[in-house]
Amino acid sequence: MILIFGGAYQGKKEYAVKNYSIESEDILILSEEDRTLPAARAYGNFHEFTYGFAKRGESADEYLRENMESLKDKIIISDDISSGIVPVDTTLRAWREMHGRCLNMLAAEADEVVRVFCGIGSRIK
Amino acid sequence: MNVFISGGAKNGKSMFAQRAAKEMAEEKGAPLYYVATMIPHDEEDEARIARHIREREGWGFTTVEAGRDICGVLDEADPDGVFLLDSVTALLANEMFSKDGYDPGAGEKVAEELAEFARRTGNTVFVSDYIYSDAARYDEMTENYRRALAAADRRLARVCDRVAEVSCGTVIFHKGDKI
Repeated sequence: MILIFGGAYQGKKEYAVKNYSIESEDILILSEEDRTLPAARAYGNFHEFTYGFAKRGESADEYLRENMESLKDKIIISDDISSGIVPVDTTLRAWREMHGRCLNMLAAEADEVVRVFCGIGSRIK
Repeated sequence: MNVFISGGAKNGKSMFAQRAAKEMAEEKGAPLYYVATMIPHDEEDEARIARHIREREGWGFTTVEAGRDICGVLDEADPDGVFLLDSVTALLANEMFSKDGYDPGAGEKVAEELAEFARRTGNTVFVSDYIYSDAARYDEMTENYRRALAAADRRLARVCDRVAEVSCGTVIFHKGDKI
């Protein structure tokens, strides 16, 4: 598994296409409506997926734990939402924490973790 | 050498940028300019600007003001000088949200003009703000501003010789390994 993360609009998907042998059509762009991860080579906007769980009051960590095996050969692309003020809104607060836990779990399983800053990737694992 | 610097608020970006610009100017024996991008709207802004001016005292900067149309600076300043442009964030805000109203397409103009500024001077230190990692859901206007700022940042990161992130006063080079 390859985890590519970084701030919003940093060129993460573009980085994935440029550096790993995938096309942009191979990246399934997730939304908050997705309750499961459909079969795909790569997932984009993974933070939207966890946002849906937070909104519905469900646990994305639990979903990941149960499905980690199927993510072994995937590329997962996500915003890092960890560096702002703690949100007043309950859902956003739950999302921020849940998303952090999920990225940690993915990073622990990943063979490679890349942080993208202004289009430039740094391999941190 | 063009340098792009970003990072979170109050991490030491401006201080690092000032030092980098001053060193470059001394090395080249070139004039040193500070491009002031902030358009004051109230007393608080006036006080902030006065504080920034005091902080730059003794550094040898000539201040040139440009709240918008950034390349206009080069009509009065020597393009062979060294420029410190702090910040891309303020410049985009001025262009996108002016007294004429909201211009959703301002980002493209700003990115284009900043790239031109980098090309024409060859020695500019650009400072931006990394506002992309918070857990918030913004309205479309704010989201558009973030998207546009990130596009300008990425454009500058592409054309600049050095890209640095300043975190807790520590500099992480993403392009190059020193100034």
